[in-house]
Amino acid sequence: MTGTGSARAPTRWPRRLVTLLAFAMPVIFILVPLAIFLGYSFFSVDHGEIDYTLTVANYVRFLSDPIFLPVFWNTCVLCLSVAIICVLLAYPAAYFLTTLKGRWRYMLLMLLMVPLLMSYVIKIYAIRSILGLNGFLNKALVSLGILQEPSSLFVFNMNAILLTLTLLLIPFAILPIFLTLERIPPILRQASDDLGASAAQTFMRVTLPLSLPGVASAASFVFVLAIGDFLTPQMVGGVSGFTFGRVLYSQFGTAYNWPFGAALSVALAAVVVTAILLGERFGRNRGASV
Amino acid sequence: MSGRDSLLLLRRSGLPGRRQGPSMNEKSDLLTLRSVSKSYGAVPVLHDVNLAIRDGEFLTVLGPSGSGKTTVLRLIGGLEPMTSGEIRLDGQDISRMPINRRPFNTVFQDYALFPHLTVAGNVGYGLSVRHVPRKEIARRVAEALELVQLGSFAKRYPTQLSGGQRQRVALARALICRPRLILLDEPLAALDLELRRQMQEFLKSIQREIKTTFLFVTHDQEEAIGMSDRICVMQAGRIRQLGTPHELYYKPNCEFVARFFGENNLVPGTLGQVQGELRSIDTALGRLICSVAGQPHLKNAPEGACAFAMFRPEALHVSEVHDGKNHFSGKIVDVAFAGSSTVAIIAVGEDRSAPRLRMRLPSRFSGSALSASETVALSFAPREAHLVLS
Amino acid sequence: MTARPSTIFLAAVTALVAVLLYSPLFVPIVSSFFTVAHGEVVWSSPTVAAYVSLAGNKEILTALRATLIVGACTVLLSVGGGTLLALYYHGRRSGRGALQFIIFLPFLMPPIISGLALLIFFREVGLERSLLTVVIGHTVFVLAIVYRTVLTRLQSLSRSLVEASYDLGATGWQTFWRVLMPNLSSAMAGGAILAFALSFDETMITILVTGTQSTLPVRLWAMMRLGFSPDINALVALILIFTVLLCVLAARVLIPKQVATAAH
Repeated sequence: MTGTGSARAPTRWPRRLVTLLAFAMPVIFILVPLAIFLGYSFFSVDHGEIDYTLTVANYVRFLSDPIFLPVFWNTCVLCLSVAIICVLLAYPAAYFLTTLKGRWRYMLLMLLMVPLLMSYVIKIYAIRSILGLNGFLNKALVSLGILQEPSSLFVFNMNAILLTLTLLLIPFAILPIFLTLERIPPILRQASDDLGASAAQTFMRVTLPLSLPGVASAASFVFVLAIGDFLTPQMVGGVSGFTFGRVLYSQFGTAYNWPFGAALSVALAAVVVTAILLGERFGRNRGASV
Repeated sequence: MSGRDSLLLLRRSGLPGRRQGPSMNEKSDLLTLRSVSKSYGAVPVLHDVNLAIRDGEFLTVLGPSGSGKTTVLRLIGGLEPMTSGEIRLDGQDISRMPINRRPFNTVFQDYALFPHLTVAGNVGYGLSVRHVPRKEIARRVAEALELVQLGSFAKRYPTQLSGGQRQRVALARALICRPRLILLDEPLAALDLELRRQMQEFLKSIQREIKTTFLFVTHDQEEAIGMSDRICVMQAGRIRQLGTPHELYYKPNCEFVARFFGENNLVPGTLGQVQGELRSIDTALGRLICSVAGQPHLKNAPEGACAFAMFRPEALHVSEVHDGKNHFSGKIVDVAFAGSSTVAIIAVGEDRSAPRLRMRLPSRFSGSALSASETVALSFAPREAHLVLS
Repeated sequence: MTARPSTIFLAAVTALVAVLLYSPLFVPIVSSFFTVAHGEVVWSSPTVAAYVSLAGNKEILTALRATLIVGACTVLLSVGGGTLLALYYHGRRSGRGALQFIIFLPFLMPPIISGLALLIFFREVGLERSLLTVVIGHTVFVLAIVYRTVLTRLQSLSRSLVEASYDLGATGWQTFWRVLMPNLSSAMAGGAILAFALSFDETMITILVTGTQSTLPVRLWAMMRLGFSPDINALVALILIFTVLLCVLAARVLIPKQVATAAH
């Protein structure tokens, strides 16, 4: 906008104010809190008071204590499973959307996105009631003869967290996959047909490879959302479904150890950043323009 | 291996499925379209198209945008179903044959190269989906790339290539399966002028070498003239004229072809008498004499019928010699230097609605002998002039 | 043309996904009209009693009011701030990458990290936890969305549009109000709807930074341990209708242009 500089010259002081705001807002409300938070991970707690002397004790405790690392690892595996299940369900649905024409395509996409805007807490509650001992899932399985009597297999454990997170996060997987599938020029599939490929060959050799970037971002999206969630495990996980998010949250509640919680957050952030970078790396389309 | 050797290899290995004894009436016709029509919903785009493509020829389908030329190509390639009619290959109906079984391959307008595959992967795709052994694929890919002079680009991705290179990859990909017919959908449209010229010659030379039939679609009449054995001119979903470039240029059968195909002077008038191979026409320029040699329909047209006298800008001359035929005078309105030639716009008569003619002369270093607002005597030879019924 | 069996498979999976997504929504809606006894729905007696008792539930209505206030403030702040930032960074190179990264941080990081960072920050600067801190938390969270929406629109606008305005003699302010704003308004409206929807449902950051007064999701969260009363189900049904209406509105504002470009 060099050419417009002279035209705006008379209004110089508002420009300075705008510049100040543009830089100050993000720095004060985002960067500074995160920096303080990071700083906290190097403090410690003494008799309910925060000791502001620098120490790496929190990190040492996280890495050496027999509780935290396994929980951390199990949570990563759990969230990875959620991501994989979501992608497996979302891919066929997204593909189906792209086979529809114009209006119907977006109507159905909208239909699949609406639950996303529905109250999160209510959904967890409803899912818990579906999964519970008297819930719909048990009733259905018993009446189908798959189960002899209602099972508590689906609630207050890791399975429950897995199922609930999957149900909550599927829309986040559909959207990126749909967008990449939609962006594949139809002419590439036609070219493949023209060269003699069968429908299955065209899918395996052209459509699937070209949609992998969408799959990567979908998986990384779902993983990041799942691993950061501490309310769902709290609600449906019971005593045995103990995830990293809950451990982290408890440091700010019952355990009251903010510096240690901050250190755990740094570990969480590291996983999230890794997942985002991986998603970005594989999500980049090699030949965006044909 | 040189490019020429690989050409020989491609040719010697022959084309699979070539029919041995063609029937007499379809002697050299590879593909015939019979009363082919196509509509999108209620919108018709092709009306009753009949076309016979000869084996080994370079046939161009030429027309302005919206003329249905690309639709013809897409129907033949099997990219879209026909509404009615049939397509025969070697006399056999292939109208319902799915796209991946047709022995034709297409060079798409924007090349449609697979961005996730290398050049070699793209070129070998058609063989690999047919489960051709890997070694043979590698050999034939190398041959094909050699043929299009891209031997050293096998490992690159399409995004790392220039437009002309992508074009050649698309061509190699189409010809590697040894199709009976290669369909080219405005493949040169995205290239700049100089590259387009080179690619025209290149395409033509490859077509001559591999002796495969090319069906080329374009809206550029200069391109069509330069490359084709025959040209099929389309307008509004119908074929207007099919013939050699020379026929189309000098003997267009309708006003559309006469105007579409190169610069032209068309002067409306009414037909007069026939004298041997010549016929007169009365126009605003006076009575003009035009050739009707080899055009019986013009010879037999009734006197007084509306028609155009047609003569090309290069046929018009400045001449003081008066032999009584096709002679008139006009006022030069404008002179435009156009490189190798100079074009003069000439108004005949004082009227604003008087016909304006174009005259093309070779340029000279010393400058044009003509200048604007000068009045000059003009003429053209009767054998350079033709008639077009309106 | 895909083969029949594959299309049927795809449609079946899509239907399954739709059922999975909608089943949690139908449970509370059905319960809002029917009595549930011992885990069984009594289909014989539909009732609107739940809706009547909702109208008298002070606790819920107070929380709803707080949510709407927070939502409105968040929309104002985030649309104002996001548009300002988009206008400021558009066409500027120096410092843009770094600041854009900062703006996107709260959106990329798990909400528990953003929430805790703000919690500690508020404590360090001595800001009492209240609806104000909730508004700040929400604004920080949705800012990136509004910023992105407006910036995308700005980038899609032809540069010559602004140049034409200057060329015709308009001043900077005139160009801003008469050329840029009319073209940005639908993007801002779309961003506002998104911001409101996100703020309305935001739970994780809110739970960390809220004071005694809390928003609806946090109130529901607290009530959930005891199990919901039927009037909550009524509320859920109403929120669903509201959400669908919001969606249709958002689609009107946002989708036509996308469909138009996708069609070409």
